[in-house]
Amino acid sequence: MHISFLLHNAYGIGGTIRTTFNLARTLAERHDVEIVSVFRHREEPTLGAPAGVTMKHLVDLRKNSPTYDGAHPDYKKPARVFPRGDGRWKQYSRLTDDRIAAHLKTLQADVVVGTRPGLNVHIARQARRGPVRVAQEHLTLDSHGYRLRREIGHRYALLDAITTVTEADARSYRTKLKLPGVRVDSVPNSVPAPVVEPADSTAKWVVAAGRLTRVKRYDLLVEAFAKVVAARPDWRLRIYGSGDATGNERNALLALIEARGLHNHVFLMGTANPLEPEWVKGSIAAVTSRLESFGMTIVEAMRCGLPVVSTDCPHGPREIIEDGVDGRLVPVGDVDAFADALLALIQDDDLRRRTGQAALAASQRFDPVRIAERHEALFAELVARGGGGRSRGRVRDALHRTRGVALDAAYSARYKAADLLRKGKSA
Amino acid sequence: MSDATDPAPAPGTPPRADCVADSAGGITFDIAVVDAAEPVLVLRRRGGSAGPAPSGGPGPGPVPGGAPDEARLPLTPAGAGHLRAVLPGTVQLAEGRWDAYLGDRAVEPGVRDLRALVDRVPDERDGVRARVPYPTADGRLAVRSWVRRPHAEAGDIVLGEGVCTVEGTLYGARCAAGAVAEARLGGTVHRVPAGGEGGAFAFTVPYDLLAEPPVTSEQLWELWLRPDAGAEPVRVARVLDDVWDRKNVFVYPAHRGEGYGAAPCYTADNDLCVRLTP
Repeated sequence: MHISFLLHNAYGIGGTIRTTFNLARTLAERHDVEIVSVFRHREEPTLGAPAGVTMKHLVDLRKNSPTYDGAHPDYKKPARVFPRGDGRWKQYSRLTDDRIAAHLKTLQADVVVGTRPGLNVHIARQARRGPVRVAQEHLTLDSHGYRLRREIGHRYALLDAITTVTEADARSYRTKLKLPGVRVDSVPNSVPAPVVEPADSTAKWVVAAGRLTRVKRYDLLVEAFAKVVAARPDWRLRIYGSGDATGNERNALLALIEARGLHNHVFLMGTANPLEPEWVKGSIAAVTSRLESFGMTIVEAMRCGLPVVSTDCPHGPREIIEDGVDGRLVPVGDVDAFADALLALIQDDDLRRRTGQAALAASQRFDPVRIAERHEALFAELVARGGGGRSRGRVRDALHRTRGVALDAAYSARYKAADLLRKGKSA
Repeated sequence: MSDATDPAPAPGTPPRADCVADSAGGITFDIAVVDAAEPVLVLRRRGGSAGPAPSGGPGPGPVPGGAPDEARLPLTPAGAGHLRAVLPGTVQLAEGRWDAYLGDRAVEPGVRDLRALVDRVPDERDGVRARVPYPTADGRLAVRSWVRRPHAEAGDIVLGEGVCTVEGTLYGARCAAGAVAEARLGGTVHRVPAGGEGGAFAFTVPYDLLAEPPVTSEQLWELWLRPDAGAEPVRVARVLDDVWDRKNVFVYPAHRGEGYGAAPCYTADNDLCVRLTP
């Protein structure tokens, strides 16, 4: 099969980029795979180009490049096709509208795969008849705003399939949107086997990793760790990840560490890439989030042989961890329960070792080869069924597009009105 | 708009080394096979002469044939298309930052497995040698080396009302009667008593002792330890783990005194100080 991924920016750092690279690299062993990056701002992908995958870009933002597009007049004009509800809307433009359209109208591929809502909408609206259209959702339906939910509820009807990273989110798409004929499957993200040896459960360190933001609830982790230290002062905690530009969360955490007298026990390590060699310096991983659209760090830590203590938050953790077998699930926001779960693993060396080994074994199901096989099976089935609207029927397609034009007009009228209102207020 | 396919990693792509550190101070470097004219991994000390050793210069080179500011590590085939170089713990590497090169090309840091360095307890008699492979700010591989003979390794820092107590372990020396800790700034030295059984040491610094009013700008008071009355002072530092720069990682609460703020802190070289601020 010829498989073409459409990605926001293959040259940055992020979970979607990492996952897409893993999947593309694995599929490329048996298929003709390309990644088309809407933007390119540097020579080489920060995460390293996936072997065997053709890399293309549509808008060149390398300042010293002869094909630099940043000065193009359309680059400053707001996007019309890329939906406003997608958080990246401001980065898109009339130029991306045209470049993505030109790409999708001429695309010679069996399968085209979008990797974020805005690009999935592009594919639904602009892909030529022929390739199977697959939309990947790396976030969750609940996390999208009203405007985006409304728009994808309408646009996604022209897709062949949607894949979510959790079954919980797949259920949302099946039950909350009316998308007859669109297949909705959950396929978890993949994590490759680490290149370092797994942890041996002897280091007296708990490790956490992820951006220092409120949703990660590191404050709860620090509070729980104060209780751990009271019982086991020989154990310490490392938190990897950088704060946002304001530094507010980092400063808040430092203040909390100071208030609990934990400056000899809890350390904010800054960023680390890759994380694998950092996980294996610990014997337990901790995730205190109140929301995880998937839970990539949980799988990463398990693949390094660490048992993970995680909150039982929506959506991913309970689909990854089997409580009491290969990790622990703890009610969201419960400091005491979290501390108890950590201490149970800290106090019992044998339990910690066994749980870590179970995590190592169970997490093999997220291996890129096995995950790629699931995507591959879905793609192959859709291609065999006849993609590109044949499954949906030309008449329905045409009807939907006609309705779409009317809706577009309605949307843009509403946006114009809203813009006028805003301008009126600020003037 | 460009549909040009990016080429596969070109021959000009910088070489990349994965590192594994062992608890005895050794480091193994693994590099994917490259077209190096001479298969040697070179470590060059930043700011060093990197030329031939001057006669009567500071001791023998780290490896026979190498200058004191250059270590040449032969790369040998290690299977699976990889070349391997080994820096044994026993080879001398002067204190400083050593940049890694393959020929004249800088080496990029790959995966650094440094778990053996975490909470390391060295078994050297006369002091401590510590080496941490790390990525420089501009994305190159370097090795931070400390040579401290003897060495005062700082551990927990306990904060009291207007004081900080530094606890730690001495390597290559023992605390005896008359042991003192010194806080130094320029030519000024303040001394406080130090103590400790076995290899341990501890001393308490009252911030008021250092904060002679008015504190008008930031002051970094270096902390040193004299294990006994006649001993040379030993710099208090923390180098026995995988953290090559703990300045922003080991952060301590600040005390607010009369007209000044004070807190223990580490320098980018992992030496312990007390920082006074206005």
